[in-house]
Amino acid sequence: MSTEEKKRSINRLKSMYPLRALMDKNYKAAQDAKKEGKPVAWCMQESYASPFLNAIDLDSVYPENYGTLCAATGAATPFLERSEAEGFPSHLCGYAQNCLGYTAQMADLDWEIPPGSPQGGIPKPVILVGSGMGCDARFKWFQALGRYMDVPLWVIEFPTAFGKENLMEGAHERSIQFLIKELKGFAAFLEKLTGRKMDWAKLREDVDNTMSMDAVWWEINELRVARPGPMHSRDFWSSMSASLFRTTDPEGVTELYRSMLEEVKHRVKNKISAINVEEKYRMTFIGLPPWHALKFFDQLAERGWNFVTEWAYHPPRPIDLTGIEDPVERLVRYRHQGTGHLIDVSFSPEEAAKIKKEMGQQDSMSQLVLKPILDFKIDGGFLHPLLTCRTATASLNLLGESMIKKFHVPFISIEGDIVDTRLFDPVDALRKAEAFEETMDHYKEIRKEAGLEW
Amino acid sequence: METQTTQGLARVKEICQDRPRRAMELRDQGKKVMGYLCIYPVVEIMTALDLVPYRIFGDMRETVTKADKYLPSVVCPFLRSLLDLGLKGKYDFLDGVTFAHTCDVGAQFAGNWKINIRTPFSHFVDIPHTTHEGARDYHKGLLMDYKKAMESYFGITISSERLKKAIEMHNQQRSLVRDLYDLKKPDPPLISGAETLQVLVAIMSLPVEEGNTLLMAVIEEVKDRKDGPVKKSSRLLVWGSIIDDPALLEMIESFDANVVMDDTCVGSRAFFTDVALTEDPLDGLADHYLVDIKCPRTYQESAHGEMKIDYMADLRNRFDYLGDYVRDYKVDGVILQALRYCDAHGYEVPGIKDYLESLGLQSIYIEHNYTEAAFGPLRTRVQGFLEIID
Repeated sequence: MSTEEKKRSINRLKSMYPLRALMDKNYKAAQDAKKEGKPVAWCMQESYASPFLNAIDLDSVYPENYGTLCAATGAATPFLERSEAEGFPSHLCGYAQNCLGYTAQMADLDWEIPPGSPQGGIPKPVILVGSGMGCDARFKWFQALGRYMDVPLWVIEFPTAFGKENLMEGAHERSIQFLIKELKGFAAFLEKLTGRKMDWAKLREDVDNTMSMDAVWWEINELRVARPGPMHSRDFWSSMSASLFRTTDPEGVTELYRSMLEEVKHRVKNKISAINVEEKYRMTFIGLPPWHALKFFDQLAERGWNFVTEWAYHPPRPIDLTGIEDPVERLVRYRHQGTGHLIDVSFSPEEAAKIKKEMGQQDSMSQLVLKPILDFKIDGGFLHPLLTCRTATASLNLLGESMIKKFHVPFISIEGDIVDTRLFDPVDALRKAEAFEETMDHYKEIRKEAGLEW
Repeated sequence: METQTTQGLARVKEICQDRPRRAMELRDQGKKVMGYLCIYPVVEIMTALDLVPYRIFGDMRETVTKADKYLPSVVCPFLRSLLDLGLKGKYDFLDGVTFAHTCDVGAQFAGNWKINIRTPFSHFVDIPHTTHEGARDYHKGLLMDYKKAMESYFGITISSERLKKAIEMHNQQRSLVRDLYDLKKPDPPLISGAETLQVLVAIMSLPVEEGNTLLMAVIEEVKDRKDGPVKKSSRLLVWGSIIDDPALLEMIESFDANVVMDDTCVGSRAFFTDVALTEDPLDGLADHYLVDIKCPRTYQESAHGEMKIDYMADLRNRFDYLGDYVRDYKVDGVILQALRYCDAHGYEVPGIKDYLESLGLQSIYIEHNYTEAAFGPLRTRVQGFLEIID
């Protein structure tokens, strides 16, 4: 081990590096596709789009992910400034502003990549695939791109009732049937747009391979309950893109995840921690991370903060779909699992019945949502309110308050942003974090008095 | 017993000074009061159950002190204010509350309210983001669930006839509101923008029949009034996110301008199209609430599955109704306003400015944080804009 490696406070997984490198390859693939005259699509992650695009031989490009890349490399600022100059308010989604500014610049250059764009940039698409999932930006932003590009936009719906309304008789199944119909309409549109036929066998293979890939990724994350935590959130964030931002090679990615699974298993068995000092505080990160300031977590690791889990970007829970042959239905039932089902598989039958009965009478902060606090024996929550992302911010305080109320687990809230480097102050954040340690120590005592395990 | 002693605009003022009062009087008489957020919850279903539909608003004059705990400062200031009022017990008189997926934060707000305010009944209606046939069908299913949940909780079954009757009553209200807006067409308009807003705030606090009676009285009074707005240099249209307090419009109208038309959700947006009376009334309601209401929260497309986007054609499809307003109300300038952090409206701004420019109209975009203090700096900008268009 080199001296430099010894100094690192986070014990990075070796199996993470090839997963992280995959995204670079994806950008290169999109550029090569464009050079070869192959069309590419811009789409939103978790939008169902990629398996369909793969099955009709269109390369997927993810402007959201490109936003994180621009942020991490410091390249976002001129794009953000251009977006503002175009008249878009500066509080809009940072990823969207980055993309709007980038596209406006590309339009100026007759669709050449703006010089200095990280990873060689993203080429002009032939279709935009928006999504109703997650936030309004994911279709409003693509619609706003119509100011610069004459490419068609298809918006894939995503029903969003997950409370007691989802438990009403027939409600979830109706949303499943709606999505199946939507996606079949999307496939028909792609055929019309490209003049090619969907390769349904390829779609089926792709969906199944994706499910297999995600199952391994899911298993890795389940192992993270171990004490000491074997995998830090930084490794999670570096590895998740391979699952979230789909590649055309899910089998290859699965192998990389399998390698990671073995490494994490080895760490669990041998009690090897993700941080190179004593694990004093087991942390959960709530929100979207400051991509441009991830080194901040190294400073926290030096103080014994181990980020053992996080609340965003996890894969769907594995589900048995035996007997369902239609690949579209398989995909929908996999990605769009109902509240009732998730409660059933996460709790004992008695607990599940009680939770559903209570929800039916009056919504409460779902025990499903709070379950990781208990499973991972969390000491503190790190909330990250974002100036440019309402969706990842609006419920943070509610979650934090619920953690305190239910499990006596306190939280710290540090404002920042996903893209704009100016909105995160690491010095001030570290000062607050140091003070927060006393709070976490205090609540450890309270939990002990309340008879909680940790 | 109703304590009403005033009529017309005086009655409107009285209601706006103490909105819950009438609802609480009705509650004392045995009526149930159903709060609702934004314009997507179906008021016809509430009326068919003989509930008082009561639109819930914030209060920009009251400092947010309790909502900080649950809603961070970087989300919609209107929703923060509303939650604050709820936490302070100011909506404790509601028997139920209906939410809809108006926007993403609105959806999360619903969860926050349900958990922290605990109104006896609550329901969240998801709304699709697209408007094509499949989305309309799905929306109808969601309304069926809503109707079922309401029937089950209140112990009354809504017959098709009863729902149709409620639609007719609300369509009459829509028609009356359009009649009221007709009185803004003359120069000078017979009713100001701020007054119009107060009328609509008032009727959103009343049972539909009572609101219709009030509207008729206001219309009769305004037709004959001699103390209406004076003629001014500019006739403005105000577009954007929610305005539930007259202060912003009063500020604009304190200059040499009349606000003669609006496209906001306490203004014309909820009233300018009727619900079609279909055989199954839920068909007409599903179409109206998903397709007819032109809020930027919905993805409006010229034709489902277009192969190529023509930017100007797309803008015309989305905003030609504004062009109609400009023509019908002889508008010569547009103020685009949005609450800070309102993403749905924010994304529209460059496009809508492009559209208005194509009509030869000047516009200005202003943002505010739902406090009166925020209007100070905006005064200079509005004044400057009026000088440009004059």
